[in-house]
Amino acid sequence: MVSDRTWRNLTVELKRSHLAKLGVVLILFILLAATFAPLLAPHDPKQTNPGEANLPPLGFSETRTESTTVMEDGEITIVEEQVQVNAQMEHPLGTDHVGRDVLSRALFGARTSLIVGIGGTALAAMFGVIVGLVSGFYGGRIDDALMRIADIMLAFPSLVLAIALTGLWGQQSESIPDPFHELGLAPDMPAEIVIPSTIIAVVALVNWVWFARVARGEALSVRNEEYVKAARSVGASDLEILWRHVLPNSLTPILVLGTIQVAAIILLESSLSFLGFSGANLSWGLDIAQGRDYLSSSWWIATVPGAAIVIAVVGINLVGDWLRDALDPGIDQGEGGV
Amino acid sequence: MSLGRFLVRRTLQGLLVVWGVITVVFVLRFLSPGDPVTFVAPLDASPELRQRIAADLGLNKPMHVQYADYLAGLLQGDMGYSYQRGLPANDIVLSRVPATVELAVASSIVAIVLSIPLGVVAATRRHSPADYGATLFSLVGISTPNFWLGIMLVLFLSVQLDLFPTSQRPVGFLEAWTHLIRFKLAGPSLSVPLDAGAFADDMGTWLWHITLPAVTLGTYFTALITRLTRSGMLDELGKEYVTAARAKGLPETLVRYRHALRNTLIPILTVLGLQLGTLIGGAVITEAVFAWPGLGSLLIDAINSRDWPIIQAALIVIGVSFVVINVAVDVVYGYLNPQVGYE
Repeated sequence: MVSDRTWRNLTVELKRSHLAKLGVVLILFILLAATFAPLLAPHDPKQTNPGEANLPPLGFSETRTESTTVMEDGEITIVEEQVQVNAQMEHPLGTDHVGRDVLSRALFGARTSLIVGIGGTALAAMFGVIVGLVSGFYGGRIDDALMRIADIMLAFPSLVLAIALTGLWGQQSESIPDPFHELGLAPDMPAEIVIPSTIIAVVALVNWVWFARVARGEALSVRNEEYVKAARSVGASDLEILWRHVLPNSLTPILVLGTIQVAAIILLESSLSFLGFSGANLSWGLDIAQGRDYLSSSWWIATVPGAAIVIAVVGINLVGDWLRDALDPGIDQGEGGV
Repeated sequence: MSLGRFLVRRTLQGLLVVWGVITVVFVLRFLSPGDPVTFVAPLDASPELRQRIAADLGLNKPMHVQYADYLAGLLQGDMGYSYQRGLPANDIVLSRVPATVELAVASSIVAIVLSIPLGVVAATRRHSPADYGATLFSLVGISTPNFWLGIMLVLFLSVQLDLFPTSQRPVGFLEAWTHLIRFKLAGPSLSVPLDAGAFADDMGTWLWHITLPAVTLGTYFTALITRLTRSGMLDELGKEYVTAARAKGLPETLVRYRHALRNTLIPILTVLGLQLGTLIGGAVITEAVFAWPGLGSLLIDAINSRDWPIIQAALIVIGVSFVVINVAVDVVYGYLNPQVGYE
């Protein structure tokens, strides 16, 4: 499926560009974190521990003023005392307001982001490419009707539509067993991986249009090529022509668009989680929303998951640039991040 | 095609899309779980009371009748009454428009003022520290979720350094101007005496409060336009007409700004047109972070309380303004780029 020339373009560009290398490294880092989160995380990300709440990250031990209310002989006095709070090796990035480990939550959060990012993009691409190919290949009324629908979809900013849909439809999610837990490799970790299915469906619904446009353009451009006419003259059906000739020719721009869309959807998911419209209980956006209430005392709760998002999205954008420069499909970026 | 015909055709297309938007928003209510009556009626309401409420809201009519009523209402500028506050949805939604427009305009100004010089410097001094800095900034800028950026700005500039307020918009831009000029605002008409000092105070307060939200929303666009300006300028500066202009002895500044930058701006405008949705979506999130009383925070509140007239009105206002701005961008684009013209 991938030609030798394509491979050569990709490797030449990768050797030339340091940013492309950085992108590959960052993506591998996030993929490994997401896949092996149960083995890498020092604690169960959902385990609360009020006795160890708001511990600072390593290197940020601090003195805090803690006030306690004392009741003595019917009189209430508030006693303020200086307490030294030391960072602990067990919690390298500190703990949140209920004592959950921030590093473990960041590692598990990568799973939600990637599941929604990749799952949502795949679903959007499947739907969008089918609509786009049919639209561009047949043209005429079908094309007009489908493209008007696409215009209406584009008339809603995707984030606004996604907020409305997840806010109104609720946030269903499915759970699948975690293989590491099943195999007994990580007995102390959550037994299930939560798949936020509503969010995946919604992000696909608001993003398919970009794929439809690209696929349509490609189908339009090859529709009248000689080889398509030749295939038709030997009796190939429309479906065969679309599948065997039109689709393979559209793969490069779809791949490049898909990469950029994974980044955009990760940002979209984090925004929805931040607003509380998420089906997942381990999500970077959700942790940022919770950490926001403790900004003045425990800055790390909101800072760490945000940094994780930036690392993931920078990595994917760099790989997107690499693919675009190497394969040069000549598409615009569409509606980007948030 | 002449400008007149182009405008007529584009407007008709726009109207079709607007009708689609209105219909989608209407259908959305029927596709969403939860009976609106439960959100309006008291918890212990009797079935009779519930039925009466449904009848009052027109919810017991068949769907196509409700749709006709809804369209007829819209044509008269009536979007129903808020379930929560009992006021016309129209008034509530329109009262929130200025805050969102202020935010969108302020962040666009931030983005344009910062990004174009940055992109030009990066392109004209290739491989300099400034170029690497601009490239790094634009990479991180387009990859940072703006709600997190907003929270980090609050952490450093509000919580730690106490330079800016963390949230709110105590005074609007137009309200500040009422101290200087007489004009009617929506809502109760104010008769304040003209007062330059009060104007300066209010403008100061407004600027002070809008700075962090505008920077939060503007950063993504600053990063994006910097990137586009840099690559566009590099493209243009490598073209033959630039070499020719230099060869005939035109000053370098003239070559750069009159020729290269001007040709760079056209594709930037196209991309910005495509990115308007991101601007509006970003405004929604930014408003949520800074408790900025615009359309976005209104929409989120309305969704949480299932206040359907408000949800519909807010979505329609957002969708329609998006369509209108896109038509406007097309017109400007045709004007700036005579080769393309009005096609």
